[in-house]
Amino acid sequence: MFSQSFLCSDFSSLSKPPRFFSDSSSSAITTLSSTHFPPLSFRSSFASPRIKQLEGQRETRKNFPSFLCFSVDSTMSAWDGEDPRVRDIKTKIRVIPNFPKPGIMFQDITTLLLDPKAFKDTIDLFVERYKNRNISVVASIEARGFIFGPPIALAIGAKFVPLRKPRKLPGEVISEEYVLEYGKDCLEMHVGAVETGERALVVDDLVATGGTLSAAMNLLERAGAEVVECACVIELPDLKGRERLKGKPLFVLVESH
Amino acid sequence: MLSLSFLCSEPPSLYKPPQSISDSSSRVSTHPFPFLPPPQSLRVTSASPANKLKTPRKPIGLSPFLHYSASDFTMSACNGENPRIDDIKTKIRVVPNFPKPGIMFQDITTLLLDPKAFKDTIDLFVERYKDKNISVVAGIEARGFIFGPPIALAIGAKFVPLRKPRKLPGEVISEEYVLEYGRDCLEMHVGAVERSERALVVDDLVATGGTLCAAINLLERAGAEVVECACVIELPDLKGRERLKGKPLYILVEAH
Repeated sequence: MFSQSFLCSDFSSLSKPPRFFSDSSSSAITTLSSTHFPPLSFRSSFASPRIKQLEGQRETRKNFPSFLCFSVDSTMSAWDGEDPRVRDIKTKIRVIPNFPKPGIMFQDITTLLLDPKAFKDTIDLFVERYKNRNISVVASIEARGFIFGPPIALAIGAKFVPLRKPRKLPGEVISEEYVLEYGKDCLEMHVGAVETGERALVVDDLVATGGTLSAAMNLLERAGAEVVECACVIELPDLKGRERLKGKPLFVLVESH
Repeated sequence: MLSLSFLCSEPPSLYKPPQSISDSSSRVSTHPFPFLPPPQSLRVTSASPANKLKTPRKPIGLSPFLHYSASDFTMSACNGENPRIDDIKTKIRVVPNFPKPGIMFQDITTLLLDPKAFKDTIDLFVERYKDKNISVVAGIEARGFIFGPPIALAIGAKFVPLRKPRKLPGEVISEEYVLEYGRDCLEMHVGAVERSERALVVDDLVATGGTLCAAINLLERAGAEVVECACVIELPDLKGRERLKGKPLYILVEAH
């Protein structure tokens, strides 16, 4: 998703999208209006070599020519001021303060699941994006990823691979350790679940620091698969998770600040 | 599913009155009489009538009345002629001695690796429930999260996750249940279901029925009516269906 900055003289204002407070308690959920961004484009950032070149220089964007700039480099999202589905999804996500510990605003997707239409729209938005991309594997991260991954896999005709915490999967596994804020955790995948050369999609409900997604990608790549993209319902962009995805693109429906 | 006991001399020790004889139309399987014993080589079997003979049978004799065995009231999609079921059955991997020695773990992840078989699994449930006015599908963490949401989406119901303690962020109600050693607890968000909603409980496997029973309790405490429990696999030897408070259980595959 990119913005044409000739509308903005101050680059720093592009780093914080405007906040739109919904009538629900989810005051931190934002959407980007079309006044700041061009209409929705689902095109991959890989389509244009020039876009790739500029992405690499994101940190020095103040030196760019003012007529082209990218405030959000490789996040492709479904945000579109005109897409009512995304607006509706946003309002259905509940924010719970101070869970699991003080200071954390927890993005609760269970309220989204209580609305059959909004849940279906969520899945449809992902399926529309991936159905013609020859994806043969959808991998999801335990446990909330299991809610979104299988419907996407079923709709696009891909297999579903669960990525789980240690000692949950019964067969032979490969493990990937990753770092938490305090300590470490581990993600596992069954040996033989994916084959070399398969095109994979990683799905989770939310991306924060990107540690879990990165571990998921490592597992798939160690098994020989090619990770095409990571897809999440919610992103916490302030935690810069997308920078930890080894250059893989990230597609989200909703940002939360 | 009837077994004619006039072949047996002892009084039926498993006699239980039919639980839902009026629901007999929902049984997919039919059986010929007399039926043949099943091939002994099958580990994971469909619950076709022939396979019922794998369980210890009473001695041959005469008894002038009919009885039903407890296993007769599993409503299942098991049907020797259903190719989808047969395919699903072959896709389930059995992993011995997991998580501990002596347990034959029924691994559904291999089923998920076959898009057609996974789709068939969901379709079998959806065909059964789409016209039953079910507004809530509750899935039990974590493998119930794999099967529940696709069913919910297909039948237009909401999906309610039932989770281990301290996972759900909002206000919850909790239900304790007994494990082989110790206890565990299942939680559901307050307000997830409303009074009189018709609910379906989904999990990958039913063993002792403890978890399903806790799930039923949670939904009923919230005022919902549990219409049925649906699982991919049943371990009938553990008699889980007797612990479902009379609620019917629908399964695709039995494993002995």
